[in-house]
Formats: sequence, structure tokens, C-alpha cells
Amino acid sequence: MQDRTSAPQEIALRVDGRKRRPDSARLRRLNILVGVLSLPLFVGLWELASRSGAVNMVLFPPPTVVAAAVLEWIRSGQFLGDLLASLFRVTTGFIVGGALGILLGILTGQFPVISSLLSPLFHILRPIPPIAFVPIVILWFGLSEAGKLFLVVWGVFFTVWLSTHIGVQKVDRGLIRAALMLGTPRRQMLQEIVLLGALPYIVVGLRTAVSISFYTLVAAELAGTFAGIVYRIEIAQQNMQTGQVMGGLAALGLISFIADRLFAALAERTVWWR
Amino acid sequence: MSGSRSIVKLALASSPTSVDSARKQPAIQVSNLSIVFESRRGQTIAVDRVSFDVAPGEFVCIVGPSGCGKSTVLNTIAGLEVPFEGDILVEGSPVHGPRPDVGMVFQQPHLFPWKSVRRNIAHGPRMHGKSKTDANAVADDLIAMIGLKRFADAYPNTLSGGMQQRVAIARALANQPRVLLMDEPFGALDAQTRAVMQDNLLELRDRINTTIVFVTHDIDEAIVLADRVLIMSAGPGRILREVAVKLPRPRSSSIMVEPPYLSLKKDCLDVIRAEGLRAFNQSDAS
Ligand SMILES: Nc1ncnc2c1ncn2[C@@H]1O[C@H](COP(=O)(O)OP(=O)(O)O)[C@@H](O)[C@H]1O
Ligand SMILES: [Mg+2]
Repeated sequence: MQDRTSAPQEIALRVDGRKRRPDSARLRRLNILVGVLSLPLFVGLWELASRSGAVNMVLFPPPTVVAAAVLEWIRSGQFLGDLLASLFRVTTGFIVGGALGILLGILTGQFPVISSLLSPLFHILRPIPPIAFVPIVILWFGLSEAGKLFLVVWGVFFTVWLSTHIGVQKVDRGLIRAALMLGTPRRQMLQEIVLLGALPYIVVGLRTAVSISFYTLVAAELAGTFAGIVYRIEIAQQNMQTGQVMGGLAALGLISFIADRLFAALAERTVWWR
Repeated sequence: MSGSRSIVKLALASSPTSVDSARKQPAIQVSNLSIVFESRRGQTIAVDRVSFDVAPGEFVCIVGPSGCGKSTVLNTIAGLEVPFEGDILVEGSPVHGPRPDVGMVFQQPHLFPWKSVRRNIAHGPRMHGKSKTDANAVADDLIAMIGLKRFADAYPNTLSGGMQQRVAIARALANQPRVLLMDEPFGALDAQTRAVMQDNLLELRDRINTTIVFVTHDIDEAIVLADRVLIMSAGPGRILREVAVKLPRPRSSSIMVEPPYLSLKKDCLDVIRAEGLRAFNQSDAS
């Protein structure tokens, strides 16, 4: 009786295992292969399409032309200057906006009076796209660097403020009660329990703010400047150097990709207990 | 070595002499406690004129159906909730908020996820001005006592539910509280782990001899652990009956099959059944 019921099951399991495992391994290997070939495939198609004569090569240059433009950009020494100018704006704006956002987020999240005072204002200002502030920033700051920073700070601040505010309010009440029962004073409660409890939210806000700082960088540099990656793209466009335009776009994409990855790695280390 | 020394110290905190001197003064006095919650739908009387005393070193269990106000009573003794009416004295002084001589263990361990086991337990002593070294020494003694030496540097998310709750108990004991409040601390654990935890707690208590108020909805758990069981009824929360548990100590959960235990349990069940019937008839009539 017992034998009859258990034996077929065992066989079924073994057959199942033998069939499925090699299959899924092969599938995984195929996926990796396709993933590795993906970019070369599309670059190759792009090269063929550009050179086929079906499109205007000046407007749609092949990757080889784009690569040549990028090499020239680097060799001329302009690339380094542009890169540093853009990176300076993004990092300074990110740090200032992020620090302000965290500070005010903790204040409004923790103290209802401060929240009543500031949250209505912030909620009205927050949905206005930062790019819409370009005209008034030009009026206020002219073409100065302060105006560029203002735009990036503005974009970063609201995202970080909101996520910090929500994070502080969502700190596990149970943790706070436990800390209270252990005699945690107010100051330590804020530093140790509330700040760390809100950290996962703060980090998510900061990560979103990384890409926002690049959006606002574009607006800031289009608003008029003398160096920067987006500035170079604009100049190239005015000179019909489409290869250079595309090279600039690729550089911008690469930098913001690296920034996001670096931040993700950092974030994972910061909230390791998650 | 140092572990056993400080256990002795803990035990001395409520040695027989202090029991004698406190015969005039209970560890906890709850008199005429009522608690009312305001909500959009109006007022709910969660606890209705509850009175009881707990003697120093006594282990009291409060049993009752969920929603009858057990947690509310405990939170009020802890100073986390404010009474609507009535008084609470701990060691003779009124409760105005959380205080160092009252420790609490909740149904969820609520360990600080970013702190190791040692630093979780050391948190209380640190907050009371002990140096890092002293606080860690206290923590290490307690870690030895709860049998988690191997996990001293582990983080809470790597521990099982039972281990986490043991850490929570150790963390509450690190401040050497005179009174330990426990709100269904084993309620979220599976049956096997829970039985082990009950035995652990019995053993622990025989060593530290702190006054304990333990809330549960499980009558077996209450009788196994307690010197005295307070049976509560729901809507609004009141104390129906006090049952003294005169079973010999040291105890373990294996007493649950012995005749004296069973007759005690029958007494408790009779009280609860009568109350259930009364409540049922009442709701039927209305
Ligand atoms: N913060 C609160 N606000 C409103 N009602 C509450 C609150 N806390 C508890 N109650 C109500 O008080 C009653 C008792 O709750 P509780 O003490 O948690 O019961 P128990 O711990 O016995 O399950 C319940 O009816 C519950 O809904
Ligand atoms: Mg409860």
C-alpha cells in the first residue's frame, strides 16, 4: 500500500528533475549570449542603415563618425573641461539640495508645527517642473554659475525632502516605543532611531534625485553657459555637427548611468539591514 | 565567569529582604483604572475601573479575549498610555511616562535592525550613561544567559523569531528593571518554539526574580507561568476573577498534564465559559 503510493511519485520527481534542469541552464546561457550581443547588434545595424544611402548621412551619421567626433572632442582638450563643468554642477547641486532636503524632511516629519508651516508651500512648489524656472533664473542670476546650481538644487531638494518627510513619518512605531521603554532621550531618538529608521526612504529619494539632477543640468546648461556637456551638444547642433551631438548624448547617458550605479552600490551598503 | 557574577547581582535587586520590606508596598498598584479612546465614531471604553496589586517578585498573568484591553492596561503601566481615570503606582511612585525601573517586551521583538544583538541589548545601559565597555559587559552577560553567545555579533534579520524575542527580553532586562511587562511576547511564535520559550522564561525568572506582568490570550500559558492569573472580559475590559496558581516551582510546561493543573484550568474555563454565555445571551437579547 505504502509502496504503491510512494514509488510513482519518486519516479515522476526524478524524470521531472532530469528534464528541467539542463533546459533552464541552456535557456540562461542563451539569455546571457543575447544580452552580450545586443549592443553590438544595434550599433552594427545603425552603421549599415546610415551607410545604405536610405537616410541623410549628415543628419544620421554612422557610429564610426560619431566615434571619430568623440575622439576629436577628447583630443582637443574640450571634453575634460566640459566634463568637469557638468560634474561640478551636478555634484554640488546634488549635495546641497540633498542636504537641505534631508534636514527639512526630518524637521517637517518630526515636528507637526514645522510641517504645518512649510508643507503647504512645498506642496505647491514641488509639482512645478524645475525647467519652467529657467526664465526666472536667467532674470535673477543672469548666466552665472549660481543660477545653474539653483536649478539643480531646486530639482533635487523637493524629491529628497518629500521622501525624507514620509520616511520619518513611517518609522516603525514599535521601534520608537521600544526605544522609549529603554530610556532613549529625545536627541538620541532623533539621531539613532528616527534617522536610521527613515534611511531606506531617504536613500530611495536620493537615488531618484540622481537622475533629476541630470535632467535639471540639461535645463541649466541650455539656459546659457560657456562649458559643459550639454552646452557642447548645443554648439554642435548649431554647427550641424550631428556626430558630435550624438557623441555628447552618449557621454551624458554614460555619465548618468555610472552615477546611478555608483549610488545604487553605495545605497546597498548604507541600508545593509534591508 | 563574569556572567554568573552579574546574574547574582540581578537576583539581589529583589532579594528576600526587599520582599519583606515591600510587604507593605506592592510593586504595582492599579486602582480604578479606566481608559477611554476617542475616535470618529465616538468614545470607546477600552478598560473599565480595573484594580489590582502585584506583589514584589510576583508573576501575574492577565488572560482575556483579544480586544479586551490587556495591551491597554499594560501600556498604561508602562507609561506609554495615559489613564482616563484612576491611578497607577509602581514601587510606590506614580507613573508619568516610561521609566528605567519598568521594562517592556512586546508581541513583536522590535529589535533595532541596524544594531547587532550585543548593541541592541547594550542600548538601554548606553542610554543611561554607561560607558560602551560597561554596557557591552552587561550585554554579554545577558547574551550568555539567553544562550545566544554564537549570535552576539549577528544582526536581527538573521535570527529566528524565537531568538529575536529572547534578545528582546534580554534587552529589556539590561536596565535591571524592578518590573517587567510582557505583552503576548510568544504570541507570534509557533507552538514548539513557544513551549521552549515558556520553559526558558520560567528558568530565567527563577534566577532574576523580577516582578512580571505577562499578558496572553492563552490560558495554558497563563497557568504554567503565573503565581496568579487575572481573567479579563471584553467590552469594556474588566477583571472577572483572580485565580491563585499554587503549583510548585521550579516548573516547566510539562505540568500541563498533571491533575492539580487540570483542575485549575477547569476553574478558569468555567469562569470564561460563563462570561461567554452571558455576553452571547446579552447580544442575542439586544
Ligand atoms: N489607540 C487606540 N485608539 C482607539 N481604540 C483603541 C486604541 N488602542 C486600543 N483600542 C481599542 O481598545 C480595546 C482594547 O484594545 P487592546 O488593549 O489592544 O486589547 P487586547 O490587547 O486585549 O487585544 C479594543 O477595542 C481596541 O479597539
Ligand atoms: Mg494586545
